[in-house]
Amino acid sequence: MDLFANLYLGMSVALSLDNITFALLGAFIGTAIGVLPGIGPVATISLLLPITFGMSATTAIIMLAGIYYGAQYGGSTTSILLNLPGEVSSVVTTLEGYKMARKGRAGAALTIAALGSFFAGTISTILVAASGPLLTSVALSFGPADYFSLMLLGLIISAVLAQGSIVKAIGMVVLGVALGLVGTDVQTGQQRFTFGVPELSDGIGFVAVAMGMFGIAEIILNLERPESRSVLTNKVDSLWLTREEAMRSIAPVLRGTTIGSVLGILPGGGASLAAFGSYMLESKVSKYRHEFGTGAIEGVAGPEAANNAAAQTSFIPLLTLGIPANAVMALMVGALIIQGIQPGPRMVEAQPDLFWGLIASMWVGNLMLLVINLPLIGMWVKLLEVPYRYLYPAILIFCAIGVYSLNNNVFDVYLTVAFGLFGYLCSKLKLEGAPLLIGFVLGPMMEEHLRRAMLLSRGDPMVFLQRPISATLLGIAALALLTMLLPALRKKKEAALAEG
Amino acid sequence: MKINAKDVASGALLIAIAVAGLWLNQDHTLGTARRMGPGYMPMMTFWLQMGLGAIVLVMGLFNGPDKLDRWAWRELTLILASLCVFALLLEQGGLFLAIAATVGVASLGDRTHKPLGVLGLIIFLMALCWFVFIRELDIRVNLWPSFF
Repeated sequence: MDLFANLYLGMSVALSLDNITFALLGAFIGTAIGVLPGIGPVATISLLLPITFGMSATTAIIMLAGIYYGAQYGGSTTSILLNLPGEVSSVVTTLEGYKMARKGRAGAALTIAALGSFFAGTISTILVAASGPLLTSVALSFGPADYFSLMLLGLIISAVLAQGSIVKAIGMVVLGVALGLVGTDVQTGQQRFTFGVPELSDGIGFVAVAMGMFGIAEIILNLERPESRSVLTNKVDSLWLTREEAMRSIAPVLRGTTIGSVLGILPGGGASLAAFGSYMLESKVSKYRHEFGTGAIEGVAGPEAANNAAAQTSFIPLLTLGIPANAVMALMVGALIIQGIQPGPRMVEAQPDLFWGLIASMWVGNLMLLVINLPLIGMWVKLLEVPYRYLYPAILIFCAIGVYSLNNNVFDVYLTVAFGLFGYLCSKLKLEGAPLLIGFVLGPMMEEHLRRAMLLSRGDPMVFLQRPISATLLGIAALALLTMLLPALRKKKEAALAEG
Repeated sequence: MKINAKDVASGALLIAIAVAGLWLNQDHTLGTARRMGPGYMPMMTFWLQMGLGAIVLVMGLFNGPDKLDRWAWRELTLILASLCVFALLLEQGGLFLAIAATVGVASLGDRTHKPLGVLGLIIFLMALCWFVFIRELDIRVNLWPSFF
C-alpha cells in the first residue's frame, strides 16, 4: 500500500532525533501558552518564527505545529481546574469541566479531555494522510482561474465564520489584500506604495504584521484589564475514569471527532468553532442532556475531541492547496515561504519528507502530549502563579529581538510598533485581525493568478464562470455569502460565537 | 436612530485608507484587463474597500447603540515606546542596554511592579537572551555599548 509506505517514510522523518526533540519542545511550549491566558498560539508562533530560520523547513514546521495542537491540550487543563480558559477553543470546556471539578471529578475530566483529544488526534491524522494525496491530485488540474476562485472562496468563508459583523470582516480581508500589495510588482518591477523606503521594497514584513496585531496589541489589552486570577485550585484526586464515565464518553468523542474534522477543513473554522459546535450538538442529542450545566462528562469529551480534531484537519487546505484556513495556518504559510517553499499541491511530491514527516509528527506529538500532560498537571498549574507583570516584558523583548533578527534591521521593529498601534485600534473598533492576516498572505498570490488567468483568457472575465471548477467554487462562495444574509442563520452563528 | 460609533469609525477608517490608496495608485500604470499593469489590482482592491467601508458606515448609523471604548493611553504609549527605545538603542547601545531600557520603560505600564522585581527580571532576561540568541542562534548584534 502506498499510504503505508508513505507513513513509514513520515515516521522515519518524525522520529529522527532533531525532529522529535523539536516536536517535544513545540508541544511543551504549546501546553505552556495554552495554560497561560493572555498569550495564544498566533502570538507565540509569530514570536518564534525568526528562531526557526536556522532549522530545516521540516523541523521548523513540526515544531510550530506542535505549538498549535499543544495549546489545545494546555487550554483545557486550566478550564477544568480553574474555570479559566487558556485559549478561546477551550472556553466551552469550562461549562461542564469546571462543574465536574467542583463535584470532585477533576481527575476524570482531565483524563477524558486528554484521551478524547488523543483519539481525535489519531483519527484526524489518518484523515489528513488519506485525503492529502487525493486532494493534491485534484488540485494539480487547477488553472490560474480556478486558483483565484479558490482563494476568493477561502477569503469569503473566513470572513463569514469570523466573529462579529461579516461586512467588517470582509473589509478587513480586503485591507489585508491591500497591505499585501506593498512592495515591488513582480511582473514589472515597479515599486508600489513604498514611499521610497528601501526596506518596503520586499513588501511589508509578515512577522511584523502578525506580531504587532496579535502580540503587542494583546499585551496592551491585557494590561488595561485588571488581573483576576484565582489561585484557588480544585484538588486532582484520581485520574481514573469510572466504568460509567468511560461508557458515556465514547459516543460524544466519536461525534466530536467527526464534527471537528469537518469544521477544521473549512477556512476560518478551526478549533474554537469546532468545540462550540460539538457542545451544541451534545446538548441536543445526548441521552444525558438533562445533566448539562451540572458537570456532564459528555460536555467535556465532545468539545475536547472536536477542538483537537479541527486543529489537525485545518492543515489539509494548507498542505494540499496552499491555502491557510485560519490565522495560525497563515503563519505556517509565512514560515514555509521564508524557508523558500511555496505551499501548494506540488508540495507532496516536491517535499515528501516535509509532508509525511509533519503528518507522522502530529501523531507522535499527540502521544507525547498525553504523556507530558497528565502526570505533569501540578507543574502546569504552578505556571499560573507567574504573574503577568513578569511575563509581558519578556514577551516584548522576545518580540523585539525576533523581529530585528529577521533582516538585522531596526526598521522591522518600528513596523511592529505601527502594527501594534493598528491592532489596538482595530480591537477597540471590533475589527477582527485574523481575516486581515489571511488576506495579507493570500493577496499577492491572488493577484498573480488573476493576472495570469486574464492573460490566458485574453481579458475576458467570463473565464471564471466558464471553467467548471472555478464556477463551482464561486457558486459556493456566493451561497456562503447569501446564507449569512438570512437572519435566522446569522442569529445561530452569533449564539455559537457569543461566548468566544 | 441608534448610532453604532464603533462601526461608523470602522467604516470611516476603511474609506480613508482606500482613498489614500487610490490617490497613491495614480502613479501606477493600470494596463488593460488582458495585460494588467501594476496599478490594476490596487485599483480594484481599494474601490472594493471603499464600498465595504461605506456599507459599514451607513449600517453603523442604525445598528447601535455602541459607544467608542476608552483607550488605555498610558499602557499603549509605554508599551509602544519601550519597543521604540529598543530599536533606538540596539545597534549603538548593544543588546544588554537595550533590554534594560525596554524592560524599564515597559514595567511602568503595570502599577504593581516593584523596583527590585524589575531589576531581577532585567538580569534574568539578559541571561536568557544571551543564551538563546547569542550562544544558540548566533545573531549578529553588539552585546555592549559602542558609542565611540
